Amino acid sequence: MLLDLVDIIRENWLLLLIGQYPNGPLGGFAATLILSVLSIALAFPLSVLIAFARFSTNPLLLWPATVLVYVARGVPLLMLILWVYFMVPLLIGANVPGFVTMLVTLVIYEGAFLSEVVRGGIVALGRGQVETARALGHGYFGAMIHIILPQALYNVMPSILSQFVSAIKETTLGYVINVPELTFAANQVNNQLLTKPFEVFFLLAIIYFLVCWTLTRAALVLERRIAHKRAGMPGVALSLNPQMPVPEP
Amino acid sequence: MTQETPTAKVEPMIRFSNVNKNYGGFQALVDINAEVARGEVVVVCGPSGSGKSTLIRTVNRLEEIHSGTITFDGRSVHGKMRGSELNHLRSRIGFVFQSFNLFPHLSALENVTISPVKVNGVDREQARDRAMRLLDRVGLSAKANAYPAQLSGGQQQRVAIARALAMEPPAMLFDEPTSALDPEMVGEVLAVMRGLAADGMTMMCVTHEMGFAREVADRVWFMDAGQILETAEPSVFFGDPQHARAQRFLSDLRH
Ligand SMILES: Nc1ncnc2c1ncn2[C@@H]1O[C@H](COP(=O)(O)OP(=O)(O)OP(=O)(O)O)[C@@H](O)[C@H]1O
Ligand SMILES: [Mg+2]
Repeated sequence: MLLDLVDIIRENWLLLLIGQYPNGPLGGFAATLILSVLSIALAFPLSVLIAFARFSTNPLLLWPATVLVYVARGVPLLMLILWVYFMVPLLIGANVPGFVTMLVTLVIYEGAFLSEVVRGGIVALGRGQVETARALGHGYFGAMIHIILPQALYNVMPSILSQFVSAIKETTLGYVINVPELTFAANQVNNQLLTKPFEVFFLLAIIYFLVCWTLTRAALVLERRIAHKRAGMPGVALSLNPQMPVPEP
Repeated sequence: MTQETPTAKVEPMIRFSNVNKNYGGFQALVDINAEVARGEVVVVCGPSGSGKSTLIRTVNRLEEIHSGTITFDGRSVHGKMRGSELNHLRSRIGFVFQSFNLFPHLSALENVTISPVKVNGVDREQARDRAMRLLDRVGLSAKANAYPAQLSGGQQQRVAIARALAMEPPAMLFDEPTSALDPEMVGEVLAVMRGLAADGMTMMCVTHEMGFAREVADRVWFMDAGQILETAEPSVFFGDPQHARAQRFLSDLRH
């Protein structure tokens, strides 16, 4: 069994790592990594914008943001992926690569979810901090950027992190629209070997686990470092509790 | 923005004219007419719920009013204005909260420098130097690098005062600055406020510290049910309060 695993890795590591590249699109672990990093990197700023829009009194900002959040919460990600995959080419009259479809869908979906986490973090700070910043003459965005977000984002770091981890795992859904990411590559390997599905998918699970675990550890280190710097600020107690409630709208 | 005309010199620092404010159906401020002169220290007192916080928070427009006008340094606070004008106005009104509200993610020094740097565009080094001097003035230069969680309540409130002073406001407003403090820390905060008064700062303080009022205030305003019932010099107010409600308030305080 262990030998089988080693054999599978030895014979297929390149396919698992980069897919068919350079003869085909970049795939495998590299595609998973790029998809994850890009979707997180884009979803995060989007989530802050959505959170702001949800605080806005302007209906042109408030309503689209609210609808987006409710749709993302109410529709399974797989439905959303299939919907974008089949509908967007019809709407814009051009083919969209699976990778782009997957990326856009993930960014919007994760952005909507993360926005609720961010919003919860801001609400949990209470009115006093904003009021104080405004009393000192900071504008709305100045207060948000310099005073509110650094505290709110820090306090909800565990929730943000678990959202990041789930984003990595959600890239596996790219499989259904033929994005050649890691799961897709593993399935190719499995189709070649035919007799070793348990070993192949066990290997796949280990790889995902290691990536997610590493990210969790890295975030913990980062969190400790900030906590150390701010020694004992109230947010630390909150951040150690991953179950911090996010207020419903 | 400020009118540096000769009339501005005789203009009081803060002037309330026929100010009314409601919360829903409840009238929190009733026909307020009062002035805080330049360099004057006014102590606002009165029973809980009488509208002291509401009154002081209308001065920098943390609360809106429904009718009347409030002027600060000759400029109407509640008139139509752009957001940036309101921010500028607020930056010139020092405000100290009962609950300190230091920014917990910033050190004491950064709490004091962030607003001059981000709001007024003061050079970082210059803001730092000034902040160190202000922290020294409130007796906390040794704590410049401490975070709020590492400071006692009294120390936090003194940093909050330094933070407000860093904007070089012509007047300071205090809303019960010592009410959230343990008794042994009240003195250190009042001492800083005394120092400010002695330096000629215009101050409007909501406080239950009647010793401070007696000693430092130029005038005491007594509020009840959203009205200013009495304004008098402390010796007059404490020696011979005119209003029955004020007499009762003072005798309650003594027991
Ligand atoms: N946001 C609000 N909504 C409704 N009512 C309010 C609000 N804020 C204050 N009030 C009411 O207005 C009245 C005046 O409140 P305010 O906080 O100004 O009193 P105060 O004199 O500062 O009292 P305290 O000494 O307890 O601080 C109170 O009756 C209070 O219940
Ligand atoms: Mg009050």
